[in-house]
Amino acid sequence: MKLFDIAFKEILRSLRNAFFLFFGLGVPLLATVIFYFAFGGAGSGDGFELPVTQVQVVNLDQGGSAYGGFSAGQILVDFLRSEEMADLVQVTEAADPAAARAAVDRQEAGVAVIIPAGLTEVAFGPGKEATIELYQDPTLTLGPSIVKAIVSQFVDGFAGSKIALEVATEQLAAYNVPVDDDLRQQIALAYGQWAQELGASQQGGSNALFQLRAPAGEEAGNEGLLQMVALIMAGMMVFYAFYTAVASSMTILQEHEAGTLARLFTTPTSQGAILGGKFLASGVTVALQVAVLLTFSHLVFGIDWGEPAAIALVALGTVVVATGLGILLNSLLKNTRQAGIVYGGVLTVMGIGGMVGVFSGQMPGSGSGVDLASLVTPQGWAVRGYGLLLQGMGPLEVLPTTAVLLGLGVVFFVVGVWRFNRRFA
Amino acid sequence: MEKAIEVRDLHKRFGDTHAVQGVTFDVRQGEIFSLLGPNGAGKTTTISILSCLLQPNDGDAFVLGHSVVREPMAVKAAIGVVPQELALYEDLSARENLDFWGKMYGLRGPALRQRVDEVLALIGLVDRQKGAVRKFSGGMKRRLNIGIALLNRPQILILDEPTVGIDPQSRRSILDSVKDFNRQGTTVLYTTHYMEEAQELSAHIAIMDQGKLIALGTHEELVHIVGELDRLQLAVNVPAEAVLEPWQATEGVHKVSAADGVVTLLVDDSNQVLPKLFEAATRAKARITSVDIQEPNLEAVFLHLTGRALRD
Repeated sequence: MKLFDIAFKEILRSLRNAFFLFFGLGVPLLATVIFYFAFGGAGSGDGFELPVTQVQVVNLDQGGSAYGGFSAGQILVDFLRSEEMADLVQVTEAADPAAARAAVDRQEAGVAVIIPAGLTEVAFGPGKEATIELYQDPTLTLGPSIVKAIVSQFVDGFAGSKIALEVATEQLAAYNVPVDDDLRQQIALAYGQWAQELGASQQGGSNALFQLRAPAGEEAGNEGLLQMVALIMAGMMVFYAFYTAVASSMTILQEHEAGTLARLFTTPTSQGAILGGKFLASGVTVALQVAVLLTFSHLVFGIDWGEPAAIALVALGTVVVATGLGILLNSLLKNTRQAGIVYGGVLTVMGIGGMVGVFSGQMPGSGSGVDLASLVTPQGWAVRGYGLLLQGMGPLEVLPTTAVLLGLGVVFFVVGVWRFNRRFA
Repeated sequence: MEKAIEVRDLHKRFGDTHAVQGVTFDVRQGEIFSLLGPNGAGKTTTISILSCLLQPNDGDAFVLGHSVVREPMAVKAAIGVVPQELALYEDLSARENLDFWGKMYGLRGPALRQRVDEVLALIGLVDRQKGAVRKFSGGMKRRLNIGIALLNRPQILILDEPTVGIDPQSRRSILDSVKDFNRQGTTVLYTTHYMEEAQELSAHIAIMDQGKLIALGTHEELVHIVGELDRLQLAVNVPAEAVLEPWQATEGVHKVSAADGVVTLLVDDSNQVLPKLFEAATRAKARITSVDIQEPNLEAVFLHLTGRALRD
């Protein structure tokens, strides 16, 4: 009973300790949030999301009966207004170029796309040139770049038709087939239709030009970001769990120096209950930290840590190994003045060693040289455990790693407790 | 009268240091017993053994008949210990501190709450019971430090220099409290290097020096050791070392010691010796700036027995 009283007192003091709250919970979360936003998470509720750009379009190209009613300008307008582009651009047709530019100047639109008259003729005729004008808000970068990329791809498509036309003309001339204007138009139209059909067949109904911003690509990006955030979160969690364990075990030395430990020994309380209560508190504090960080990262970053049973195993292993190491390291210290050596030296070096795989962007458990090198430290094993969780491994797959963590933790614990018992005997 | 504490040929060594050397004494039930001696005399080591914090290398001590070596839990249950340094959790409130320490003495539930209320009233912290200890004054912390030792209604209260470094008002309050606890039947073992405290509080006093118990008895018995000698305290306008030798050689002077610029002497008859001391000072080119003649007291006893002042 007294063991639990001591543990409760320790936990209460930890929760009132601004240092623990800041470094144990605040810093790991803060570090992960910083990474998250640094890699584009800002502004998204559930993943990476590009802003929708307001576009003013003026189509001066009329196409013409000479091209079978075909209008390159209208194709571009329809393209920009298509359903697939709705997540990227919102198109409004302006009456004339001046009105479109004025809308941009008023910042009602990010970009004005002014399609020149005769674009169709240029697209299908040889040796002519035309310029599609992009008028953009100078304060914007991403939106105008997207619109420019879309228009460039569109123009490239028509450039392809011109190349196809010239190649066909040369081939027919080689076979002495006369090429008149009608034939040239038929070739250009046929290429245009072929290109559109090809795009549709490759993208399952979507135009090939949409490939750069296809939803599938966006999802992959989000997945990558989440994976990276999850890895960083796991690394931070492990890194700071060990700090918390050492700090909470250090209360033995702090109490020794403050005289409260000696006073405890003057009460009818066994040494086992006193040390056991403090070690229990250390374990519970680390468990609390891990639980809060796992829950927070799941709710805020949407990290899927996997099956609850597997999570419990890895978390248990982390708590036991961190607590054990904390007790061992403190048992080696003579006083709290030596704590800087542990914090600044041992734990930092071990933590970096354990996270070397995360820093190099490799998934823990990948079996690479860097990954294997990280296993020299207990932190490396803990990071490996979370890496396995992120790869969707279940309880059976994480069991060996958990066993190593538990084994190391027990060894650390036994040696540390033995040393403390000797010191206070 | 039954013995509350029996200390028998106690020895404690720390490496080459023989901190306690064959100390033997008894404390009777219901009395206040003081261990008097300068810093490093072995007082704290002795009560650390009695509190079961240290194991003796030789000898044994018995608290209410329980050996500190073989029955430490029974000893701990019977005593309350007030350490010299404050031993409190400053980030907890006064009540939380008392609650916790009460549990360490095995109190639970309503009995714990009632005892905590009683102790808070006893130490005058009822109004501040929910305040964080770190915001308390030094005197309040001292009171709480003592209150913790009262939680288990100890039959024996051990106080290790509880008045070191505190203001006169708090010191007075602590001395009065100790007397109150004693009046209520608690046996008190009190260590101090303040002769006045031992003299005021104690029925019996043991004087310790360099790990040994050099005198033991009532105040009157101890003072009798120095007989009819007078105690002089003289201040000079030069370093005290300049007059130590000539004064030691002066007829009628038994002991000479210097501390904090003041020279303490044990002399046969101050009226006859003082003129000789003035002459010796003049020869040593020193001038006496103040003279204090005192009746024999524990300070004189210590000087007589050790050749040093208690403050050395």
